[in-house]
Amino acid sequence: MRKVIATVAFGALLVAGLSAVQEAPADSAMEWEPKVFSVGQDVSLF
Amino acid sequence: MEIGPHIKLHRIKQEMTQAELAEGIVSSAYLSKIENEKTEASPHVISLLCTRLGIQLDNETDEMVRQKCQEWFGMLTTNHDRDEIIRIYQELNEIMYNNHSADSLLMFEIHKIRYFLVIGEMDKALRQINKLVEMSGTFDSLHQYYWYKFRGNYYTANNESNQAMRMYKAAEEKFNQLELSEEEIADLQYTIGVTHSKLRNTLEAIDYAEKAIATFRVTYNFTQCAQCHIVLGISYRRIRMYDKAIKNYNLAKHLGELKQNRRVIQLTNQNLGYLYSTVGDREKAIVHYEEIIKEQDILLFERILAATSLIKEYYSIYNFDKAKEMVEFSLQLLEEVDEKERFQLFYFITYTYNYAINQELEKFESLVIDEFIPYLKKHKDYANLVIYANMLANHFEGNNRYKESVKYYKLANNTYEELVSL
Repeated sequence: MRKVIATVAFGALLVAGLSAVQEAPADSAMEWEPKVFSVGQDVSLF
Repeated sequence: MEIGPHIKLHRIKQEMTQAELAEGIVSSAYLSKIENEKTEASPHVISLLCTRLGIQLDNETDEMVRQKCQEWFGMLTTNHDRDEIIRIYQELNEIMYNNHSADSLLMFEIHKIRYFLVIGEMDKALRQINKLVEMSGTFDSLHQYYWYKFRGNYYTANNESNQAMRMYKAAEEKFNQLELSEEEIADLQYTIGVTHSKLRNTLEAIDYAEKAIATFRVTYNFTQCAQCHIVLGISYRRIRMYDKAIKNYNLAKHLGELKQNRRVIQLTNQNLGYLYSTVGDREKAIVHYEEIIKEQDILLFERILAATSLIKEYYSIYNFDKAKEMVEFSLQLLEEVDEKERFQLFYFITYTYNYAINQELEKFESLVIDEFIPYLKKHKDYANLVIYANMLANHFEGNNRYKESVKYYKLANNTYEELVSL
């Protein structure tokens, strides 16, 4: 039982820690820089 | 200028007598006739005389070729018709090797790197780089500038931002030694700004984007201005200056609309959607992502990016019906994909949410643990690793599987620390 409580508490602490940070975890796939230049048919490489 | 007087001009410039130049080739008297256009010498004799004087033959053609080259180089910098670029390349490729200007030929060879990248032939670009490596010791400053810049472009295309940055910085060091146009300088500054952004060097990204935009404003290059504003928007978001970020994005959008550039408008929507998502305004995020989905005139990649963003947003506000709809839409788009490997991340995201929404828990766990998380680790995609490790941990916690839950919370936490220390 104590193990369970400790685990849940730890988990909650980690979640709280993650939420309270300076910068939210950035999703590299979802924030997209503009291209450097066009490449073939698909410019997304850049 | 005709060849006779041309030879005479050079002979005099080099303080040679007619006897000295003519020796072993023709008589002085004959040389005099050539110089004064009293006779037409054979190409062989002309060639020997020119060689002795160290001058290029056929200068008028040289000039024409040089101009054509400059025109072609310019096409490689701006958004130009691909077929036209290929056509002129093929023309130049035929005549360049008849051209005796070593300088023009070298510049053409260096620009071939960029050409192969622009037409999407990565292997050929690499072969060209390897071919030129041996000669790079003989490059002058201008050759070196483009040599470094285009090698940087190759690394950018390969997503090797650190290597790309090294090359771009080496090119930048040439600024003081060369008289480059303002536009060329701004183009490199913009490129460095984008690369800093990819490396999450936020302050440097802002610095370079500001430098580049100062030139693009003056030259009314609205598309490039818009792209600089997007880099600034991303950077300001990262340092939590949201008002400034939104202002830059709105400027980018406005310029995109002025130029009717759909790509710029939708890239702005994607990044605005992301900004609103990070500040918790899911409704606004969804509005921006939905704009992208509606757009026909953008690339498959951009539509899939928006679709998967929408899956996440709808899921997070518990709108599972819409999330399911987006999953279906994303799967449809993924069927159109040729290069599955490049879109692997989107397959993982789509299927992860698909299994989660449909409560196919074993499949969800198996996919995320055995495939998705190892993929993210391999690609050092820390940002997504935090998100999906966290999602998995939440899932285990919700099912009272605390030991497994802690394992993935720890992974999320450790990865996050790795991310912020970058």
